[in-house]
Formats: sequence, C-alpha cells, structure tokens
Amino acid sequence: MFDIHPDETFIQKLSDSLDHPEELSSWESFKLAYQASSFQTIPRFDGLLALEHLPHVDFLDHQVDAANKVVHEMNGRAILADEVGLGKTLEAGLILKEYMIRGVAKKVLILTPASLVNQWVQELNEKFYIQAASPRKKQASWKDWEVTVTSIDMAKRESHREEILSIPYDMVIIDEAHKLKNHQTKNYQFVQSLQKTYCLLLTATPIQNKLSDLFNLVSILKPGYLGNLTDFKKKYRYHKDDTKGVEHIHSLVGQLMIRNRRKDTGLNESKRHVVNERLAFTEKESEWYNQLTALKSDHNSFAWLTLEKEICSSREACFMSLKEMAKKMDESKAQKYISLMEQLEQLPHHTKAKRMVELIQQSDEKFIVFTEYRATQFYLQWYLQQHGISSVPFSGKFNKSKRDWMKQLFKNKAQVMVATEAGGEGINLQFCHQMINYDLPWNPMRLEQRIGRIHRFGQEKDIRVYNFAIEGTIEDHIMNMLYEKIEMFKKAVGDLDDILEKIPGGSFDQQLQSILKESDSRGEIDIKLNNLVSYVEYTVNEGRELS
Amino acid sequence: MTSPHFDFVKDFFNTNGCTITEESPSHMNIQLTNAMDEEIMNRPFYWHYMKKMNRQGEPMQLTFTENTDEPGIYLHAGTPKLHTIYETAMKKGKLTRLYEAVDEPQANGALTPWLVVNALLHYRGKQTKDEPVSVGLQLLHGTFVPRMMERISNYAFNMTVSDYTFPMTPIIQLKSAYKRIEGYVENHTSSQNHNWARDSHQQLEQEEQLLQSFYESGDMSEDQFNKEHEQLFKRYRPRIEMEVVNGGLFYLSQQTSQEMLTS
Repeated sequence: MFDIHPDETFIQKLSDSLDHPEELSSWESFKLAYQASSFQTIPRFDGLLALEHLPHVDFLDHQVDAANKVVHEMNGRAILADEVGLGKTLEAGLILKEYMIRGVAKKVLILTPASLVNQWVQELNEKFYIQAASPRKKQASWKDWEVTVTSIDMAKRESHREEILSIPYDMVIIDEAHKLKNHQTKNYQFVQSLQKTYCLLLTATPIQNKLSDLFNLVSILKPGYLGNLTDFKKKYRYHKDDTKGVEHIHSLVGQLMIRNRRKDTGLNESKRHVVNERLAFTEKESEWYNQLTALKSDHNSFAWLTLEKEICSSREACFMSLKEMAKKMDESKAQKYISLMEQLEQLPHHTKAKRMVELIQQSDEKFIVFTEYRATQFYLQWYLQQHGISSVPFSGKFNKSKRDWMKQLFKNKAQVMVATEAGGEGINLQFCHQMINYDLPWNPMRLEQRIGRIHRFGQEKDIRVYNFAIEGTIEDHIMNMLYEKIEMFKKAVGDLDDILEKIPGGSFDQQLQSILKESDSRGEIDIKLNNLVSYVEYTVNEGRELS
Repeated sequence: MTSPHFDFVKDFFNTNGCTITEESPSHMNIQLTNAMDEEIMNRPFYWHYMKKMNRQGEPMQLTFTENTDEPGIYLHAGTPKLHTIYETAMKKGKLTRLYEAVDEPQANGALTPWLVVNALLHYRGKQTKDEPVSVGLQLLHGTFVPRMMERISNYAFNMTVSDYTFPMTPIIQLKSAYKRIEGYVENHTSSQNHNWARDSHQQLEQEEQLLQSFYESGDMSEDQFNKEHEQLFKRYRPRIEMEVVNGGLFYLSQQTSQEMLTS
C-alpha cells in the first residue's frame, strides 16, 4: 500500500561519533533536541497550522477557507481568482506557509510582474516570516535560494532559463496569471516547462475575453482536465446557449478555482461612498467651449471627442492637441485655431481644479487625484502648490524604485498624489481614504481598478470617491450613460466583472474602443453605447432569472 | 511563564551557558555567550572581523516576551528566532552515549546497553502529517520498548560512568539493532489505519488516467507527459519517510532496565 523510506545515514553517524566523544551531546541537550522536534511535529492531516504561526496577521474568513480548500481539497494546484483587493496574496502566502511548515515546500519560485517583486519579498518577510531572495542584475543563485521572487522576464532570460528549468521546484506561484492566457506565447511555454509540484495561479480576471483564457490556465495546473482545446471550444460553442453545458464547465473549473467576490465577504459597498459631482463651466469657459463646438465639423468624431474630453480636463491638455492640429492645417484655417488658443490662455483656472482645491482644503486628509492627461497632471501639481498644498506625481510608467519613492513621499510628506494611471497592478495606498477622479475613463472597470488602490483588504476606514464631470459635455454623458446605469446593474447583481468580461465579440473595454473609433457621429456613438448598455442589462437580467 | 515555548527557550539558554539577566512573569532577558551569538544571531561578518582583529567581540542580549505590548521578541509557535533555536537545539542534541547516574550502586554495578532512537515518520501523499516514534531496544536480548523517551525522561544520565558501575558490552551490533528498529517501525505503521494511503492511491490513479488519455489524444509532448507524470507521483504516491531526530547508546542500571520492561 505504501513504501517506507528509512533514514539511511543515522546509524553510521552514530557509530562514527561514538569514537569521538566530543561530538556527543549531554542528556540535557539530547532532551532539548527531542523537545524541539516535538514542537515542530505536524500532528494531523487536516487544518491550517500556519494560523498558529502567524498570530500577528488577521486573516479573514474567506482567506482561511480558501487556503484550507486549496491545501486539503485541491491538493495544492489552484487558481486563486478573488476580485481585486480581497487579498489573493495573503491567501497564497498562507498556503505557501502551510506547505513549508508541513515540510513539503522547500524550493519555491514566485513569478510576479517586475513592479511587484519588492512588495512580495516584503510581505513574505513581514507577514509570513518567509525569507525570500530576488535576483539583481548579475547575481542570481537560483540553486542556493530556497524561496525566490522574480519576474517572468528575468527568469526566462537566456542566462537563467536553463538553470531554472533544471530545478525541481516544490511550489511555483504566479501572480497576475491572466497574462498567461495565450498558450502560444513564450511566457506560457516557459511556465509550462517549469518543474513544479504545487502551483498557484493568481488573477482577478481568470477570463479576460474568451473562455479559452481559462482553458489555458487550467492546462498549466491539470493538463487534459478540460479535454483538448479544439473539443473544448466546440463543446462550448454548441452549449453556449445551453446553460447546462456551461454549468458543467463551471463546476469542473470550480474544482480548481477559488473566486471570492466582494459581496460575499466582509468588505461591502457600504464602506465606499461615491459622490458624482456635476460641475458647471464658468461663463467664460462656456463661451470658449461653444466656440470650440462650432468647429466640430472640422473633425472626425474621435478627434472631436478627444478635444472635448481635454477641455473638460484642463486648458493645458486641450492646448497641446489644438497646437498639433493647427500645424497640419492651411494658414487661413489655422488662424482660427490660433486665435482660439490665445483665448484659451486667457481663461481663468479650470472649474474642476477649483473644486478639487476646495475639497482638499476642507479636509486635512490625504487625497489621490486621478487624471487621464499628463498636461493636466502638471497643471494640477502647479495649481496645488499655489495653494500651499504639497503633492507628488505618479505614473504607471515610472520605474519600480521611483514608484516606491513616490509612494513613500506621499505616505510621509505630501498631502496629495496626482496620478495619471492606476499603474495597473499592485500599488497599495491604503493609508489614503479620499479619491478624486478628476476626469473619467470610458471603462467603468478602469475606475474600479483605481478605487482598488485604496479600497482593498485591510482598509479599515470608509473611503470617499468623488467623480467629476462637467455638465452638458461628453463627461456628463459618460457619467449618465455608463457609470450610473452600470452602477445600477451592479446594485442588482453585485458583481459585473464576469459579465463585462464575457460579452461575445470582445470585452466591454474592446467594444468601447471600437465604438469610439469607428463611429462617424456623436449620435452614432450614443446609439451604440445604448446598445452596449442594454446588452449588459439584458445579460444581467438573464443571470438573475437563472439564479 | 506559562507557555511551553518560554520554558523551552529558558532551558535551552541555561543548558548552553547563557545567563538570564532579568526575568518577570511576562519577559526575560538573556545575555548570550560568544558561541551562542555566533550560532543563532546570523552575523558571520561581525564575528569574522572580530576574530581577524583578534578582538573579544561583544555578544548580544536578547529579550523574549509573552505578549506583543512589551518590547522584545514575542514568542509564539511561529517566531523566527524560536525556529532558529529549534534548529540549533536539534543540531546540538543529535547523537549521544549516556550512562545512568547512580549514587549508591546496587549489589550489581553492571549497566545494560540500550539503543534509543527518536524519529519522525513523515506521512506523504495527498495529505501530510508526522507521527513521532521513540523506541528503545535492549542490546542484550533484543527487547523492544515503545515510548522510550517518555519512560527515561525523569532519570538522570551522565556522559561518564558513575563510580562503582560498569557498562556491559552489547551483544547486538548497532547496525543490526537499527535494522530491527526499522522492522519495528514497519510493523507499527502497517498496523495503523490506511485510509490516508488508500485516498492517495485513488487520487493518483484518477489523475494518472486523465493524463494518460490526454496524452493519447495527441495534445501533449512525451517530454511534458513524463514531467507531469512524475509530478503526480510526487504529490500523491503514499509513502512514509522516516527521519531520525536523535538517538544514542544508553546504559541503564539493572533496576531501571527492569522498570523499562514493566512500566
């Protein structure tokens, strides 16, 4: 039924030592060693011993449940697919710790985006007492390091690749694993060829566009589990309208995927106050805006939308575009634009900027302000400085050390961070509780990612989010059409993620992009957006009837 | 001090010649010796430098606490320093030869040789756990005694023979004695409940089948198949890995030897 592997070395060592009494231990030392080993003995198959080892971390129920399930039911190979901010990293750390305590994970490789390497090393050390190494440019001793955190890009470099592939890892953890959705990429093939006993894939979006994304993730964990890709696609296509087929796939995937949703956990919407602020242009701004509108017919709809969104953000953002446009025009026409630019320079400070300063001055709390435009970012920093408010810039394009530095400055010195993009993954700003979305991205999910920077697990305070929009402009439109409606559906179903991810013909984001690019008029955009929103509504209602 | 970790740490430092400079119900302060500092403080460069400069070096002090409010190292099951201490303790107490301390020898001063082995049985498969075993084997007649550490823990032993006593030479050689202990462990484990192994087998077979059929459908290279197959074995094949924690030769007085067999 089972083999027994005896300890082959002990008795020889004992025989040898008996001839060297100085190597022998006293009765007290012998008893202490025995005691030490009994402290480290794993008394039972089930349960999470890691919890006793980590009394300083308050794990939430769903995190403990997830770890329990992965270790004891899924046998250590799983997709952790909690929504953003529910603590996937904590779950993964807890699972890793459990396997380390149980003595079956010694050699561990963690692959994360480069920007998250430091954060992982730090969290493993502080929260889990796990010492992890991460390679610097030339120094990498993959064979000696027990726990290594690095990026896929670093690992798959020619100088490291062969060595890493030759190491039998007990556990491999891959953060932001949705990047592995395509099985033809080098990254995917690299991960597939790693030697790994246990394996965790972390992603908030297991299905980004297509169900085959999920198929490919599953194949890393359990090749053949969903059949082969061709059959799988066929089956799914046939069963797309047949809920049984889909449910079957879901139940299969459920055996190796954990997906906690915000609504199922302690963290609910009540702790998040969203305020949509509709601001009116001042008279001068309106005048100028009307002049701009008069020139609408000069542009295709996309270019026009860009200008309109820019003037809703700042004079500076719009100025740059106008300048570029004027360069390409013949002189008589350009003249109109140049005079428009001159007037633009005379405009007073932007309505939104004033409102922003007002909000910040009413409070002594920290604020993070998001804008879509670099020019606006510069302007806002300057404007804040004029009011004696300290701020730091942030951009997803900053390199790792600059990001860390800005975060540190924001935490310790500045009151405001003015950011152009969420920087996508990872940056954690829980010490901040107020957010201003100075201008709005098209895709409400992007907004969700921004909010996720401050409204994530461990956030104990309520947070407040201000969304700015200028009345009667495209922004008002985005707010009405996309945000408020979608927010309404969200209240109805709790979670729209997978609906927005699974729309046939591309994700919500892709659909938005193509609507904006391919429409000829504002009217067309409206109609198409309406259709898209109705489609989401339809899917939501369908989902409700089924459940 | 109520926690077992605290008692252990205290014993450990006492045994290893460190001084407890301060102690209250919730904390203690320990002055390390040079040797102990080198052993557990992980500062090899400092000690390397001191030695090179021919200097004495200054060993550190450690404070352990039983709660998080006080400054110092909070002792609980997961404290990293505690785990370093476990490692050190296990390294220092691995092998021994001990003679029972006898104040007034009985009529017969002969001491009976025993091989004592403390081991962990690591159950490996779908799930994992350890079972500690402690076995004594009398090296004259080959009698087994289970839970040996428990039985001898209250007796006193020295590294040298007490006056008026003498150790008898084992009849059973160490190597063959150890073989017998392995046999004993085998018997012991096969008499236990095997559900864990059966579950592991089932899981292994099920996943092997899945992998095999996928491989046959032609969607997987042979290399990848072999790799995956090996991983399935690693994860699920039920096995017990025996790891000796420590062990040694123990010489027991006639009376104590007798008590081992009867208690």
